[in-house]
Amino acid sequence: MRPFTYARATSIDGIHAVQSATGARILAGGTTLYDLMKLGIETPGHLVDVTSIAGLDEIRSHQDELIFGALVTMSDAAAHPAVLQRAPVLAESLSKAASPQLRNMATLAGNLLQRTRCAYFRNGPEYPCNKRMPGSGCAALDGLDRGHALFGGSRSCIAVYPGDWAVALAALDATVDVHGSRGMRTLEVANLHRLPGDTPHLETVLEPDEMILNIRVPVGRLGQASTYHKIRDRESYAFALVSAAVALELDDGMVRQARIALGGVATRPWRVPAAEAALAGQRLDRAAALEAGRVAFADARPGQHNGFKVALGTAAVADALMIAAERSPSR
Amino acid sequence: MNQTIYPDRARVDARDKVRGVTRFAADMPMQRVAHAMTVPSRIVRGRLAAVDIDAARAVDGVLAVLTWRDFKGVKSAGYLMGGGFGFQSHQPMLSDRLVHRGEPIALVVAETLEIAIEAAALVEASYEEEQFAALLGDTRAEVLAPQPGHDMGDAQAVLASATFRVDAEYLSPAQFQNPMEMIATVAEWRDGTLTIHEGTQNSGALKFGMAAALGLDPARVRVESAYLGGGFGQKNSLQGQTVLAARAAMLLGRPVKLVMPRAQLFHTASFRPASRHRIRLGADADGRIVAASYDADMQNSRPDTFRASFSEITARLYAIPNYTSTARLVRTDVQSPGYMRAPFEHPAAFAFESAVDELAYAAGRDPLAFRLANDAETDPVTGHPFSSRFLAECLRDGAERFGWSRRDPAPGSMRAADGTLIGWGVAAGAYKAAMAPAIARLRVRADGTTRISLSGHEMGQGIRTAIFAAVTDGLAIDPARVEIVIGDPDAAPQHVTAGSWGTASSVPVVRRAVQAMQARFEEFRDGRPIRGTIHEMLARWRRPYIEVESRLQAPGQPDTVFDRLQRGLPAAAGPEYEPFVSFSYIAHFVEVRVEPTTRHVRVPRIVSVVDCGRIVSPRTAESQVRGGVVWGIGAALRETAEIDPRFGGVLNNDFAEYVVPVNADIGAIEVGFIDRPDPLLNEAGVKGLGEVAMVGVAAAIGNAIFHATGRRLRELPIRIEHLF
Amino acid sequence: MSEHDPSPHDRSHDLSINRRDVMLVGVAMTGVTLVGFGETTAATPSAPVARPEMNLTIHFQVNGRPIEMSVDPRASLLDVLREQLDLTGAKKGCDHGQCGACTVHVDGRRVASCLTLAAKMEGRAALTIEGLTPADGPLHPMQQAFIDHDALQCGYCTPGQIMAAVACVQEGHASSEAEIREYMSGNICRCGAYVGIVAAIRDAAVTMGG
Repeated sequence: MRPFTYARATSIDGIHAVQSATGARILAGGTTLYDLMKLGIETPGHLVDVTSIAGLDEIRSHQDELIFGALVTMSDAAAHPAVLQRAPVLAESLSKAASPQLRNMATLAGNLLQRTRCAYFRNGPEYPCNKRMPGSGCAALDGLDRGHALFGGSRSCIAVYPGDWAVALAALDATVDVHGSRGMRTLEVANLHRLPGDTPHLETVLEPDEMILNIRVPVGRLGQASTYHKIRDRESYAFALVSAAVALELDDGMVRQARIALGGVATRPWRVPAAEAALAGQRLDRAAALEAGRVAFADARPGQHNGFKVALGTAAVADALMIAAERSPSR
Repeated sequence: MNQTIYPDRARVDARDKVRGVTRFAADMPMQRVAHAMTVPSRIVRGRLAAVDIDAARAVDGVLAVLTWRDFKGVKSAGYLMGGGFGFQSHQPMLSDRLVHRGEPIALVVAETLEIAIEAAALVEASYEEEQFAALLGDTRAEVLAPQPGHDMGDAQAVLASATFRVDAEYLSPAQFQNPMEMIATVAEWRDGTLTIHEGTQNSGALKFGMAAALGLDPARVRVESAYLGGGFGQKNSLQGQTVLAARAAMLLGRPVKLVMPRAQLFHTASFRPASRHRIRLGADADGRIVAASYDADMQNSRPDTFRASFSEITARLYAIPNYTSTARLVRTDVQSPGYMRAPFEHPAAFAFESAVDELAYAAGRDPLAFRLANDAETDPVTGHPFSSRFLAECLRDGAERFGWSRRDPAPGSMRAADGTLIGWGVAAGAYKAAMAPAIARLRVRADGTTRISLSGHEMGQGIRTAIFAAVTDGLAIDPARVEIVIGDPDAAPQHVTAGSWGTASSVPVVRRAVQAMQARFEEFRDGRPIRGTIHEMLARWRRPYIEVESRLQAPGQPDTVFDRLQRGLPAAAGPEYEPFVSFSYIAHFVEVRVEPTTRHVRVPRIVSVVDCGRIVSPRTAESQVRGGVVWGIGAALRETAEIDPRFGGVLNNDFAEYVVPVNADIGAIEVGFIDRPDPLLNEAGVKGLGEVAMVGVAAAIGNAIFHATGRRLRELPIRIEHLF
Repeated sequence: MSEHDPSPHDRSHDLSINRRDVMLVGVAMTGVTLVGFGETTAATPSAPVARPEMNLTIHFQVNGRPIEMSVDPRASLLDVLREQLDLTGAKKGCDHGQCGACTVHVDGRRVASCLTLAAKMEGRAALTIEGLTPADGPLHPMQQAFIDHDALQCGYCTPGQIMAAVACVQEGHASSEAEIREYMSGNICRCGAYVGIVAAIRDAAVTMGG
């Protein structure tokens, strides 16, 4: 691993001070960054540890909003009573991710910035990867693409965004408060990650000196009737083959509004508005749910080894809708 | 015959293990230890044109950067299956020749691990690349002429006229042992003696292999391997890394520790090769299997010949009078494949026991009844008797425990209330009952201690517990002060512990030693009255100790096998002995549940009943069976190497992507033992257990999935996409 | 720079930043000092390396003992425990947070010590298998249950399993077999002792009052 300097910030101003002086990368839980440093993929010369900053590890439950501090751990958020009750999709997206150990370490903001599991990206320089080495090509395009994107890919990159939490957040129209040297701004989580396009090494719209401070999730009528349905290669401790985050507002069995986001199949958290629209005003039964699943995957562009995810994803969306509907206070 | 019924007792090394005080190789406290890290080759095959080590050497704290030029005079220790000691004949870093992806091209040694890793990343190399074949089906692979296997009767003619027929091909992927302990070597060079600490199943091969590789007198090579963090076949021979670490230690005059990163282990150690199995079966109108033919292809490396023996068990599972088999080896550009738990028997049983299930359905028979009706009474291959065979009992007992009689045979007919598809499947397995020569030295001392030294390696199978059971059975010694010395070639000659011959070799030789001790004790006693333990009597007689040595080889083995044992060479025998044949047997009954929408497969329960002769250590034996079943679940539903043929090498080279079962994958596993001693194989009545436990699990799962869904899946692992 | 260690090599002057808001940690090559108790475990000093930025002094607790030591900023807690403090109970099975063999508790929570930078341990407390019970004392109920149910084979993953299992009960995640399986899935056992592990945790949860 390349040597780096390590600084510990105790305030947000402290982070910016270190960053402006050194260009330091922010270190929080470290479960992604340190892992990729061990692989030689991330090679920062300076790190600034932000985990000693007070006040960023709280969850606040307001009437219409849940606010998560950036440094809340995944396990704390997953176990929080308000989260479990008001937005199970969020709790499930966290508790079905990684392992208890990693969830105790990883922070909510850091988790949003998790990087792809594409094996060509994670392995050594013998494999072309535009994300790891811009301009080197993409080995996955004609390679083993079982784990690669059906949505949002480009000729430069089809690496899947691997996270779960961001997918659930995208479904609920969550936003993030971001602080940088130019002050504070608010972004929609759904717009936080970029499509790979010709620049797959640029993964988010964050500036290098920006840090996520809060994650805000509107929870009003939507939230309670929600679920995160994750299909994996093993029962636990695995990334999603396909996942569906759904939230419903039902009125006497009729869908007033539906939110559906897909994980494991796209280059970023993937909302499917067409499928949401297809459900609006419909009576939610198995047939309608399956139809929504089909609409969700209508624009999928599978590769050589991931075509099964169209059928699997269709079923996962349908199952998720039925599970969420069961949780509706007014079925 | 062994009439002892061994009591349930705790694993003898469990107390240390739960306290974390058991020292594995990388845990050994060591003064001034230097840390090493390898630099892996980035190509599959070709020549190392240049290595630039300047940047690495310039890092503060780097002690040395070794390349092949630093290995002049070092030789390959040869291939284990070719008269040598290594997992492959190709020893990395002896020349600029590169034969498989990931082989080390440089070794960095530094004051700390962090510095070694940093510097290793700074080594730059250029290569002259050659074309290669990565996969079994690659056009550049070299397909060798078929090796003839078994040939009884006239299989082809009888197949042609059989009433019911199956002709199908089954695929098994490359898989990796992945013991939790990454292979770790600590090498010390002091006063002309080399000491290797490494978790190995074959400390004898390490001793003699290191001597051969480095040109040392074997007497100056010590190996310590008291505990392994799992082996599963991957640690059954000399590793390339051991030579690298030892050379560095000798050049630097400091202990060197090399813990191979898991990602590199997918390329620097052995694996289960990919294989393809074409099975043809025929049955008559009465539901008797009348003919079988079995043609297999198996991946190999270029330099070494790892022979396939898939048919060894399938020729014996049933009384099939007309049987033929062949195996073709296919040379590809990989490190040499080798033994991984049930190396041939697992893929063979998946193929054959799936085909038998298909045949049972074709013949309209219940799969269990079909198997029972075709049971063999004598060995179809040799015509000799089986030393013991309780496969039918395993099947009947398992069926009873499982509730097989409640099974509706029609595929897709059993469903849970929520619509989940339920499938019940059965399969049988067998594994040769092998034995290896062993020498045991037993010393009972007046001070109250007992020391037994013998061949064996503790990789979790519980060999220490079995040895303890045997040494305390019928000997008046203090059981709290028994020292069991294994994995140390200087304490007793060490044979490779593998092939399920560990207990079957060690327990009988220990029983002999106990008998010899009793006899010697009687000599000393000379009719005097016995009061207390042997220790107390020795103290009374003012004798510091009594020591006896016993030796034992497999039935029919000549005494010359002890020469091989003394030289660290493999010398096991089985399953064919004169004039009998010995196998262990198992029957697995599996329930799968398949979600009707996502086709997600779960395995909530398995019943496995084993005939492995006498059970010496009931608790650890049960654990071993459960472990084998977990391996079967992993092999059936999870584990495969993702290899891109354009690049070679394994892409999913970590525990996140090479998915071995986790706790949530495993449901109830009920284990039953026939527990009847084998009357012929050895005086302990013990046959093998570790491998047979896994054999047939994958087929039983595949058969259960067929029963649940009507889909016959013939490629492992069975993954969710195969059910769409 | 930590308050405990006013080092002459403090390089924070390189950066014109407010010291109230940031602690640039590092420097000072002091090897390892175990503070506050007479007998030390055989602590191996980190190597004499010239680059001062490669040595950073941290203060933390291991198994109740305060420790001040110098670490490489790149070092994982796992490697520091194993290579410098001779606490080899936690094991390296993957070095990437994928297997759980390195599980220890930090401030009462289970973590993967291989993905925990040692530098982040400043002011924190680690508990390893060696500190679960006194060396000569009785076994922890979880350790005893692992023996009783033979919840181990080779023993390599066992310290991590036990540390995870103790946390699993303390977190309240041991109420059913299904829950135990899920919350123990971060610890791979290649020997396949899962059935015994689940039984042991059910058993120990009762003893522990979980």
